[in-house]
Amino acid sequence: MPKLKLPVPPMPGRPAPKRPGKTYGPQTPREHGREAGTSAIGWIDERTSLSGGARWMMFRKVPKGTNWFYTLGSATMFAFLAQAVTGVFLAMYYDPSATGAYDSIRNINNEVFLGEFVHGMHKWGSSVMVILVFLHMGRTFFFGAYKYPRELNWVIGVVLLILTMTMSFTGYLLPFDQRSYWATIVGVNINGTGPFVGPYLSDFLRAGPDFGATTLSRFYAIHMMLVPGAIAALMGFHLYLVAKLGTTAPPWLRAKSPEKLREEKVAR
Amino acid sequence: MNKQQKEQYLREYGILKAEGKPFFPYAVAKDSLMAAIVLVVIIVMSIVLGAELGPKADPTTTTYTPRPEWYFFFLFELLRVIKPPELVPLATIGIPTIGMILLFLLPFYDRGPERRPERRPIATLTGIFVVVAMGYLTYLGASAESPTTISIDPPANVVAQGDKAVATFNSGAQVVAQAGCAACHKLGHSGNDGPGPELTDIGRRLPRQAIERTLINPTAPMPSFAQLQQDAPQQFDEMVTFLAELK
Amino acid sequence: MAERKTAKSKYTADRQIPGAFEGETVTRRRFMTGTVHTAGAVATAAIVLPAAGFALGPVFEEKEQPWQPVGKATDFTPDTYLPRTITIEPRIGDVGKSTVFVRRFNPDVDTEPRDQYNEFIAISSACMHLGCPINFVAAAQRFICPCHGGVYDFVGKVAGGPPVRPLDRFYTRVENGTVQIGRRFSVNSELERFSPRDPGEPLDGVGQYMYPSRPSMRKLPGT
Repeated sequence: MPKLKLPVPPMPGRPAPKRPGKTYGPQTPREHGREAGTSAIGWIDERTSLSGGARWMMFRKVPKGTNWFYTLGSATMFAFLAQAVTGVFLAMYYDPSATGAYDSIRNINNEVFLGEFVHGMHKWGSSVMVILVFLHMGRTFFFGAYKYPRELNWVIGVVLLILTMTMSFTGYLLPFDQRSYWATIVGVNINGTGPFVGPYLSDFLRAGPDFGATTLSRFYAIHMMLVPGAIAALMGFHLYLVAKLGTTAPPWLRAKSPEKLREEKVAR
Repeated sequence: MNKQQKEQYLREYGILKAEGKPFFPYAVAKDSLMAAIVLVVIIVMSIVLGAELGPKADPTTTTYTPRPEWYFFFLFELLRVIKPPELVPLATIGIPTIGMILLFLLPFYDRGPERRPERRPIATLTGIFVVVAMGYLTYLGASAESPTTISIDPPANVVAQGDKAVATFNSGAQVVAQAGCAACHKLGHSGNDGPGPELTDIGRRLPRQAIERTLINPTAPMPSFAQLQQDAPQQFDEMVTFLAELK
Repeated sequence: MAERKTAKSKYTADRQIPGAFEGETVTRRRFMTGTVHTAGAVATAAIVLPAAGFALGPVFEEKEQPWQPVGKATDFTPDTYLPRTITIEPRIGDVGKSTVFVRRFNPDVDTEPRDQYNEFIAISSACMHLGCPINFVAAAQRFICPCHGGVYDFVGKVAGGPPVRPLDRFYTRVENGTVQIGRRFSVNSELERFSPRDPGEPLDGVGQYMYPSRPSMRKLPGT
């Protein structure tokens, strides 16, 4: 079987010396366009030197044997991005007040063009994201991928899991229907059962001793500013560590001993 | 993992990595395909299932049965099965906090060099146990009914007596449900397990007269239904008939 | 060991630092380090403290709970509860309301001492497990919670399930033949009054110290 040639990372090569009798530079409009794109990227890279980072990220090697289980992490990130986008558009029509929230959601569902579709994507996207988070965590657990040297990445992952659950909890008060309201009451009271600090914590969450005028906006601020910011930052760090330490190889894969490799080379 | 094992791992990982493929385009292609699948799933769910909005929040309700989103069902069921009031903080704060701490510290107490799931039986079995337990609690939570509804199929001998008997049985079930019996008694899959005894087969254990006597003259803390017998004798009769037919 | 290290003098002049003043103990480097740290701390505090105070403010603000009428005194009987709607939070319309169950004091079942605030018994509709909406089932004379299996008897004491204390109550008084409902209070299993707590917080034994009362809500003084 012929060996597939893997693409070589593009390295800045030296252009061939100019020769007489040939025209240089872009000729057709298509070539002009390509030239413009290249020079724009070159302009940015000259000022930011980002291409090195991009090359480091994209052309790192992924160990042999990685399979579809290894896409769960990036799928989770993608689900988060989808949530972020649909969330921003929902925020354009949403009214975070106890008197107006329910009607604004009904307006999104019934009046706004594609409103129910975007609302549905956000709603079901949250379920999909929770499932993906758990699958990704399960993969990491059963493959032993949290062990040396990736302990810190596991810890960040657990924080991300907690933040995701916080997102789903604060998010489901926002439509302000019966289920939202009572789930929030129960959730806040669950906080309150923590000894000593619990009562103050639930006062803080509700902005008072009872469900009040600013409870909903508090949850809204947590749901769309505080936690997403934290998730985005931690996701970036999580990803950086993945790129730095490398994706794990499947645990059942054993590297050939260096002697064997040498023998193969000699035989060839 | 000691220093030697760490070096061994890094060496082996280095070899595996060198034998691997570049992230772009191989892994990126898989990731993008997965992302596309995720998006398609979300879109299809949104179109098929919609974004149904329940009735508006009403803090004065006395009839609404609150239930959480499906991914909190296991917590909901945990709160239901842990009955003793002294253990409530354990169910609400204790178990989730302990679980999270164990999860946090996992890489610090599981430090063995072995990564293959079949060679780490304790970790793998614990993982499977947790998954199964959460799945089972989720199932129980999803099927939990309100304590004022009872869904119980008429037994065969009642069905054999014809439609009229079945109708009496069903209206009896409704009376029992509305009287709140299921708040303290288990009836088949419905109702809370305790503090009262299970009533699933009460008709086998007690004759009809005894059931009637107990309803009128119960032992504390069960309430007496003598008032019901006076006010609505027919309902009371249906209640007794229903209970006597539970075999 | 001829050059044994001796403790450094605290005076900069003794340490042969160029330009040192007589009696000076702080080096310029130490002074700059200290200044930078202090400035950083002040800048951080200037942002964090107001923000924290802003977010935490409501925790320390006492909530107003005016008396509100719920019906004529003759409407209520000692034998059964009537549901009544009261306003908990006036600024948010319908979602600021709540249900209370009201009846007349019944010497046959009520064991607590009678005073001016319990001629009528008003029971909150929040389950004391985690706050779900309970209902009074007249046939069984029980309050039943739809969530996690809580059951309360006629006076609101726990009859079964996980609730940690009897149902919360409200102060009541009669003005010109109208029953008025005041602020909420919590009770322990002996029906003694405590400042209102959230559901899930027991009041028996050490409970009242583990779940202290909050500045945002207090019972009426002297009751």
